[in-house]
Amino acid sequence: MNNIKKTQDKTQDITRKQAIKKIGNYGKYAALTALGTYMILNPKKAQAQSPEAPGTGF
Amino acid sequence: MKDFAIISKAIEDKTIVWFETNNKYSILEQRAAKIVEQLSNDKAVEVIADEVANDLNVPFEKAIDFVIKLNKDLYKPNLKKEVNLTDDYRDLVKPQEFDYVKHYQINNLTLTSYFKTEKELDLIHPKFEHLEVNTSNSSDVVFEVFSQHNYTFLFVDKKFIGAWGTKDIHYFQGKFLMELIQKIHQKNEDEWLGVFHASALTNGKKSILFLGDSGNGKSTSLALLQANGFTCLADDFVPVDARNKEVFAFPAAISIKKNSLPILAPFYPELESIKEYSLKVSNKIVRYLKPNNSDYSLHLPCNDLVFIKYEQGVELDFNPISKLEAFQQLIPDSWLSPKKENAQLFLDWFATTNCYELTYSDNEKMINQVRNLFDDEL
Repeated sequence: MNNIKKTQDKTQDITRKQAIKKIGNYGKYAALTALGTYMILNPKKAQAQSPEAPGTGF
Repeated sequence: MKDFAIISKAIEDKTIVWFETNNKYSILEQRAAKIVEQLSNDKAVEVIADEVANDLNVPFEKAIDFVIKLNKDLYKPNLKKEVNLTDDYRDLVKPQEFDYVKHYQINNLTLTSYFKTEKELDLIHPKFEHLEVNTSNSSDVVFEVFSQHNYTFLFVDKKFIGAWGTKDIHYFQGKFLMELIQKIHQKNEDEWLGVFHASALTNGKKSILFLGDSGNGKSTSLALLQANGFTCLADDFVPVDARNKEVFAFPAAISIKKNSLPILAPFYPELESIKEYSLKVSNKIVRYLKPNNSDYSLHLPCNDLVFIKYEQGVELDFNPISKLEAFQQLIPDSWLSPKKENAQLFLDWFATTNCYELTYSDNEKMINQVRNLFDDEL
């Protein structure tokens, strides 16, 4: 019990101190996250007629 | 250098990068594109990561993880290889007799196509019926289509082109059209930039592509426009060549869905009486309207891409749209040449185009808007 309490206390103690730092870190990583947000587009693997063309249902 | 090249093109505030290894296009932040370029030049991952860590003020470990992930995601080759069916079908016996023989006249080209049964005939013939001629003394090119072992086979001038299973049948149709277009325009497959799922229209001086999802009204709009002084270049299957970056004519008929008939009936009374085909997949009924173009050797420059949509009751809305937005819609719906030079030409061409969105319900207003678009740059 004691240990747990200690830990909780300690966590609370450092929360305020580290909050700004943590936010700062997230902000910095957000720059990396933005770079990691990209789109990969695949053209069709071969020439195709529209699936709405005749015969597709066979 | 990596084994495969990349091509970068800045569009708006992003960079489009093409990868030779898998023929994919990626839209990246400019800084991410720089990393990709460095990877392509075989710069050490650690060095790249160090720069990223400094630039973005992130821990080195985070940066290197990111660079490795980017490399893995984007350079992944297409592992799915095309099965070489020539080997698998070495013992294939071509049918001795075909139920249907059709001759088509396309400008000076005489095409003879053999279809084993009505099933194969229906895959191709409805779109070319308007080009049918009764007899042909000599053919410039001979297509043969038949099915065996649940595969549909295509031979052109006795040469095996490919075989497709039932679920890939639209690729069989696409290949037939691609082979045909090569014959009509005397260009090999690697001389085309791509084939677009669009409708193409011309005023005789330049062309406009109409794009959009199936059901948005591309073909109906094209039919309306060809009844109002413009010429249909191609519907559904629009080839653009590499040398001139021009849209080429394709003679397939325009497919008209049943719900468009009332709109088009005043312009095309013949639509009332022509044969209907039912499409089993989409459960739709279509008729085929002859394109008004008589010169299928036509090819014209194209600078305008219009994403068109018919929507009942709306006021006409015509606006430029972001090219990146247009690109995202264009690529998944297109076949694009995997050849490096052509990918470069395609990106160069795309960079010069103007992209618009046109939503309408009033035909007259739509036609006027398209007329203005054609006239603006003349």
